Amino acid sequence: MRFALLLLAMTACASPRRTIASDGAPKAIGPYSQAVEAGGFVFLSGQIALDPVTGKVVEGDIKAQTERVLKNLQAVLEAAGLTMADVAKVTVYLTDLGDFAAMNEVYATFFTKDPPARATVQVAALPKAVRIEIDAIAAR
Amino acid sequence: MKKPISTDKGPKAIGPYSQAIDTGALVFVSGQVPIDPATQQFVAGDIKLQTARVLNNVKGILEAAGLTMDHVVKCGVFLTDLGEFGAMNEVYATFFTKDPPARATVQVAALPKGVRIEIDAIAAR
Repeated sequence: MRFALLLLAMTACASPRRTIASDGAPKAIGPYSQAVEAGGFVFLSGQIALDPVTGKVVEGDIKAQTERVLKNLQAVLEAAGLTMADVAKVTVYLTDLGDFAAMNEVYATFFTKDPPARATVQVAALPKAVRIEIDAIAAR
Repeated sequence: MKKPISTDKGPKAIGPYSQAIDTGALVFVSGQVPIDPATQQFVAGDIKLQTARVLNNVKGILEAAGLTMDHVVKCGVFLTDLGEFGAMNEVYATFFTKDPPARATVQVAALPKGVRIEIDAIAAR
């Protein structure tokens, strides 16, 4: 019992912050982690439409890009032991709000029930000249 | 219970926001622009200088909450020119040397006072 308490105390005292890494999502293209977990939340870096295998931007329109981005997020969540159902908040950055409806069509297939809170904005440009970037916060 | 952070180590707010809000487990730091907290003036200079000033502001505000850059879990980086991504990263990496935070970087149409970079952050206690 005392040992178990000690273990528990050690766990509690250990760094409350851990980084998450997944081969199922593209490697970071800068000094950031794919995700960081702390305090019961997992903070996921913004994903763009990079293929995790080739590291290249996927060919295709906004639907293809949205699908790739969400699959990347899904892979990072899985590495943390979570699913899309655990996502609490999402930010969607589009280079053209004219893509809003097409993005939503694909987006809705990833969040089928009680979708996360979300903010969507149009930005001036995104890394690697992609059309969409999405970041997320999930709760354990 | 939320508590606002107020410190001379970061520039005063230039609008109706707190420098940071401490919720206990998490600390939400407002987007910082390159204002020198000592003079409350915008620093002139290139993206590297501006990035350093911005991150020093974030650091000062975190210190006022009893935290360091190692506690940061997520940053938002807002640039006016993604052509400066590489130069920004060079300076950024010196502030987060191990297990850097999650991050999202975008190019925006404009930032307050014509600066080139704004960064906000979430830290975990």
